[in-house]
Amino acid sequence: MALADLRRIAPPRAGRRGPRAGEGRWALLFLAPTLVGLALLSAGPIVAAFGISLTSWDLLTAPEFVGLDNFFALFRDPRFLIALRNTAFYTFISVPLGMFLSLGLAIALNQALRGIALIRTAYFLPVVTSATAVGLVWAWIYSPVDGILNQFIGVFGFPAQKWVSDPFWAMPAIIVMSVWQGLGTSVIVFLAGLQGIPQEYYDAASVDGAGRWSRFRRVTLPLLTPSIFFNGILALIGAFQVFDQVYVLARPGKPTQATITLIYFIYENGFKNFKMGYAAAASWILFLIVAALSVVYFRSQRRWVHYQ
Amino acid sequence: MFATTITGRPRGALAAAALAVMLAACGGPTASTGVTSAPASEPAPGVSGEPAASAGYSGPPATIEYAIWGDPAEITSQTAIAQTFMDANPSITVNVSVSDWDAYWDKLQTGIAGGAAPDVFAMDGPLFPDYQSRDVLLDLKPFIDRDGYDLTQLADQGVADFTTEGGQYGLPRDLNVIALYYNKAKFDEAGVAYPDDTWDWAKLVDAAKQLTKDTDGDGTMDQWGFYTETTDMENYWLSTVWQNGGDVLAADGKSTVLGTDEAAGGIQFIQDLIWKEKVMADPAVFAETGDAFEQGVAAMASNGSWLVPTFQAAGVDFGIAPLPSGPAGRFTSVNPTGAVVYKGSKSPDAAWEFVKYLASPAAQEQLMQLKASLPVSKEVLAGPYATSFEGAQVFADSLEYAKLKPSFKGYNEFTTLLQGELDENVFSAANKTAKQALTDIVPQLDALLAGQ
Repeated sequence: MALADLRRIAPPRAGRRGPRAGEGRWALLFLAPTLVGLALLSAGPIVAAFGISLTSWDLLTAPEFVGLDNFFALFRDPRFLIALRNTAFYTFISVPLGMFLSLGLAIALNQALRGIALIRTAYFLPVVTSATAVGLVWAWIYSPVDGILNQFIGVFGFPAQKWVSDPFWAMPAIIVMSVWQGLGTSVIVFLAGLQGIPQEYYDAASVDGAGRWSRFRRVTLPLLTPSIFFNGILALIGAFQVFDQVYVLARPGKPTQATITLIYFIYENGFKNFKMGYAAAASWILFLIVAALSVVYFRSQRRWVHYQ
Repeated sequence: MFATTITGRPRGALAAAALAVMLAACGGPTASTGVTSAPASEPAPGVSGEPAASAGYSGPPATIEYAIWGDPAEITSQTAIAQTFMDANPSITVNVSVSDWDAYWDKLQTGIAGGAAPDVFAMDGPLFPDYQSRDVLLDLKPFIDRDGYDLTQLADQGVADFTTEGGQYGLPRDLNVIALYYNKAKFDEAGVAYPDDTWDWAKLVDAAKQLTKDTDGDGTMDQWGFYTETTDMENYWLSTVWQNGGDVLAADGKSTVLGTDEAAGGIQFIQDLIWKEKVMADPAVFAETGDAFEQGVAAMASNGSWLVPTFQAAGVDFGIAPLPSGPAGRFTSVNPTGAVVYKGSKSPDAAWEFVKYLASPAAQEQLMQLKASLPVSKEVLAGPYATSFEGAQVFADSLEYAKLKPSFKGYNEFTTLLQGELDENVFSAANKTAKQALTDIVPQLDALLAGQ
């Protein structure tokens, strides 16, 4: 059956060594930098990290094989479980929130207005701004003394809050900053998706009597699902790796129990606590979580993603 | 497309990969310094007193990498010191490299893991055991014996911090102590006498109360009597624990004694300054907005000798007094930064020569001009340093009642656990008394120490 299928999809004149055969080679050539990069800089280290995760290693002396001890220890480590919980909280709030806001923003920016390019650029600026600079600005917004946010809520009579040092507000404060910073990336993807929808579909829908909402619901949204899918996977993977935002905003001093995330936990154990094997085990658990979620997500696309 | 987009994000690649990339990147062959040291340059402990040795470096030409953490002023200062050294020792080249605090330790560890560590590097006192116990530092004792180098010319605590049973794994490069800074203008304005060596906890609280003010009458304080940083034991709470008769570690170093009433009382004193006496702001506030004393909104601060240039640059007219004494007497904390030699260094002789130079009176006089730390050379401490700025004498004298900041294996993890509890439940909010918080966290700390 496989052979028959292949014959069916094979180019009509498969026997001829024509431009198509050459295309394949060219494609490989252009893919080579990425493939080699992935193999050397991702696949190799992922395997190496697994090897390290089976050891007790302080980076300075020879590693000692300990089997799966690190993995068992992790699930008994309250700090790891807190980091896991915080990361899950961050992901499941920030990803939907970011998707929703960036879709709305993309639709608003998908207009033929004067100076729209400038406005689009403005929304993309935070993406290319360093996390440290963004963190400093937000630290100022969140400032417990006379920060903009406290002044704003003060107008409505609410008492000032310690947005980043109060364990209750710390993670929401980080989520808001991260969503703001990440909006630009997904807005660009959504904008491209929106502009790829042929005007004829809207015209046809209008002729059929579809209103604004129907056009959005029946034309825009289905045709945008590939963009939603793409943004979703990037946001999901990115969210599980949240580090910078926590690192630059967390006060006092260092991330606390309210804000430690998996990557911070990995960093802390690998480089501060001399437990690289333990850190590698944690990074493998993170890898497995992200991989499992990605598989589920990819499987789900059959049901809701429509390619034109 | 997929990969490039992902790597475009901060901390892009998958976590496992990112971590391993760092390792892989540093796992290459040992960086060659272009110099191969002859076997003859190994230390020969049997030839002490040899005239050639004391006359300076006579080995083959060598290049040594010297890594430090620090700010631009320190880079300039350390580079100048290295230059003076090179002028005197033309066959040795010293390359100074600087990182910020966090990056410094990350680079150092990966460098050692990859066999490409700097020859000489700065070492923070508390972290010394984590490195020394893992056998990556060179014992300098054979060199000290060979050259007849006199360790007593250096501040005792500084030397002791890098001494092990039978070994000397580094020389101190500079010292930092904690003292009481006071803003003269604020004291004059309130008509309060400047702090002096008669001060105890009660006097501190009394003065701080008079100096805490709501000048515009809006119900929030505009000036605080006192300020310190609570996120590290060094800035104040370590000293108050000692001043109350407590300590951090038991004598054998195998467990913590922070659970005792004496230790808890020292930390309770600080919680009371914040939440009971209300002479110090919620630490979270200034952790976010910066040093209150530097900003001129605190009249006093317990803080480190490293802040003198910062306060001067901020234009604060300040004086320096000893930390007030507590029920168990007067104590402050001293924390040395050492210069250590990587065990795998290709040029141990040249490295030793440089380490020795860093502690020499000439280098120490250059270093002290920054006013960012105390010199370790006793000659410089007692002589030029003590008169180099107002208050330097107080710093120099404080070494008589200063104890070393605790230094033990597992220090980072210990303090992360401990500070997490204290910051959240004792300092930033009075959710628990110091005694309660310590009782809660001590079992975890003891388990950690037992596992080291």
